[in-house]
Amino acid sequence: MSFLDRYLGGGAFRTTLDKYLTGWSFRTTHPSFEVGEEISVFVTGYENGTAVVRVGDTVIRVPDAPDGLLDRRVRVRVTDFAENDHVGEAEYLETVGESAF
Amino acid sequence: MATDDETIDEELEEAEAAERSDRIEFRGGKWMSAFPIAFFILWAIVQSGLLRIGDTTGLVAGMLIALIIGMLFAKGSWKAYANTIFEGMTRRVAATAVVAWLWAGMFAATIQTGGFVGGLVWAATVLEIGAALFPAITFILAALLATGIGTGYGTTVAFTTLFFPAGVLLGANPVLLFGAILSGAVFGDNLAPVSDTTIVSAVTQDSDIGGVVASRFKYAIVAAVIAFAAYVVAGNAMSGVDVAGQFREVFVANSEPGGLLHLLSIFVVIATAVSGRHIVEAISWGIIVAFLINVVFGLASFSDMVVFNAPRDAAVAQSLSFLPFVELVGTEEVGVGGSLYSGAEGFFPLIVLTLLIVAGAQIMIRGGGFAALQDWLLDSVATSVRRAETSMVLGTAIVNAMITINTAAEIAIAPYIARLGERFNINGYRRANILDANTSALGYIFPWSGGVLVGFAAMQGLPNQYDWFTRSMIVNPAEVWPFVFHGWLLVTVFLVAALTGFGREYTSDREVKEVARV
Repeated sequence: MSFLDRYLGGGAFRTTLDKYLTGWSFRTTHPSFEVGEEISVFVTGYENGTAVVRVGDTVIRVPDAPDGLLDRRVRVRVTDFAENDHVGEAEYLETVGESAF
Repeated sequence: MATDDETIDEELEEAEAAERSDRIEFRGGKWMSAFPIAFFILWAIVQSGLLRIGDTTGLVAGMLIALIIGMLFAKGSWKAYANTIFEGMTRRVAATAVVAWLWAGMFAATIQTGGFVGGLVWAATVLEIGAALFPAITFILAALLATGIGTGYGTTVAFTTLFFPAGVLLGANPVLLFGAILSGAVFGDNLAPVSDTTIVSAVTQDSDIGGVVASRFKYAIVAAVIAFAAYVVAGNAMSGVDVAGQFREVFVANSEPGGLLHLLSIFVVIATAVSGRHIVEAISWGIIVAFLINVVFGLASFSDMVVFNAPRDAAVAQSLSFLPFVELVGTEEVGVGGSLYSGAEGFFPLIVLTLLIVAGAQIMIRGGGFAALQDWLLDSVATSVRRAETSMVLGTAIVNAMITINTAAEIAIAPYIARLGERFNINGYRRANILDANTSALGYIFPWSGGVLVGFAAMQGLPNQYDWFTRSMIVNPAEVWPFVFHGWLLVTVFLVAALTGFGREYTSDREVKEVARV
C-alpha cells in the first residue's frame, strides 16, 4: 500500500486524483491498437456496406457488424492492425450505446 | 373518467407514431426545418447583440414565435410537427439540465446569503494588498467566488460593486481591474460544477459533471497561471486615478470573516461530484452543509434561506409565527421567500428557454436539416480529427461571440459538437471541454457580451453610492476587451490544444460515466 493510499483515504482519493491527472499529454491524431484489444467506440460510417470506426484519423473496419449502427456505440475486438498505415480490422461484439443526439 | 383516459391514450399513441415516422416534410425542402433555430439565433443576435437587451424571457418569446412560424412551413398535418415539440422537450438532455440548474441555483444563493462575498472582502483586507497587485488578487478571489456560485454574472455584479471601487481607491487601474473581475467570472463559469454552462456542456455530451470538471482543470489552470502573471505585470505597468477617499471605508463595512467558512460548502460539492457521485447528490450535500454553517455560525437565519411571509391578519399565521420560517407581514409582501426559493426561481426563464431550444433542435433533426448541415461540415470542413477539433473551437467561438447570453448559444451548438466529435470518436469529456471554453470566455469579452454589460450596469450605481466616484471612472465596455486575460488565454489554450493534441482523448481511451440517472 502506497503512502498516498494509506494516509489520504486510499482508493477513492487516488481515483479522484487520477481524474485530474489524466490527459496532461499531447495525443496523436493516429492512435494505435493492439490485436486482441477490446474497445468501445462509435460506428462513424459505412463503406460499401462495411461498418467503419474512425478513431481520430485511424480507421478500423468491422466487416461482421450488422447494418444500421451508424452513430451507435459498439464494443469491438481488434483482429488486425497495421501500425504504419493506421488501418485495422475488428470483430463486432455488441452494441452498448447511442449518440448524445 | 373513461373519456379522459381515452384522450390521453390517443395522444400517447399519436406521439409514439410521430416518433416512429421520423421525418417531417417542409415546404422549401429540408433546410426549412432549420427555420425555428435559425430564426431564434437571428432574434438572439438582434435582441442581445444589437439592441443589448439581456432578457432571457425575451429569448423565450423569440423561440415561441419561431416555433409557430416554422409550423406554417410544415407540409401535411401539423400534428407531427406539434408532437416533435413534445418529443424534443422530453429528451433527457433537457430534463437533466433543468434538475441540475435548480439545485445549483439553491446552492449559489445560499452561500451568498451566508456572506461568502464578505469573506472574500475580509481576506483582501487582511492581505493588505497594494495597488499594483490588487488586480491579480482580485482575479483569484473573483475566480474563487465564481467557482463556488457557478454564475459569472453574479460574480461580476458582486465584485463590481465591492472590489472595483475599493481597488480604484487604492490606485489600481480601473480598466485592468474590470478585466480582472471578468477574468475571474470566466474561470468559474468554465470550471464550477454548479455553473449553468458546465452543466450544459456535460449533459449534452453524455458525460458526468464531476469527470468533466476534473478533466477541464488542466486547461483552466494553464490559462489561469499565465493570466495571473499577466495581471501582476500589467498591474505594475498601468497607473490608476487619483482619488480622495479611504480604501477601508468601502471594505470594512462589507467584511465578514465567517463567510469564508463557505469554502467548505464549495469543497463538499466539488469533492463529491468529482469522486463520482451524481450531481444532484453532490449539490444536495453542499446545500445541507451551507445551510448548517449559516445557522450554526449565525451567518444567515433560517428565514433568510426559506420563509413563509404570511399575512399579519390571518389567525393561523399568528399562531404559527413562533416557527423560525414563518413571518408576519403586510398584505403586499405576502409570499414564500429565502435563498432556496430565489435561487431556484432565478433559473426559471433559462429552463423554459432550454426546453424550447431543444424542441426546435428536434424539429431540425426530424426535418433533415440537422443531417444536411452535419454532412456539409463533415465533407468540406471537418475532414481530419485536427480540423474537426479546430472547427469545433472556432464554431463555438463564432456562435458565442454573436449571442451574448452564452448558455443559450451553447445549447444551440451542442448537438454539432456532439456529432462532429463522435464521428472522430473524440471522448465526451474532451467535447464538453471544447464546447464550454469559448462559451465561458467569449461571454465576458466583447462590449456586447452579457457579462460585460452586467458589470457595466452595476457600475452605473457607484457614483450615487460614493461621493468620490465620478462618472469618468466608469469603464467603457468597449475598452475592456484586451484586458480579459483569462478569457483570451482560455480560447488560445483550446486552439493550441486542438492543433497539438494537448489533452485530447478518444472514446476508446476511457469510459465516460453517464451523466444522469434521473
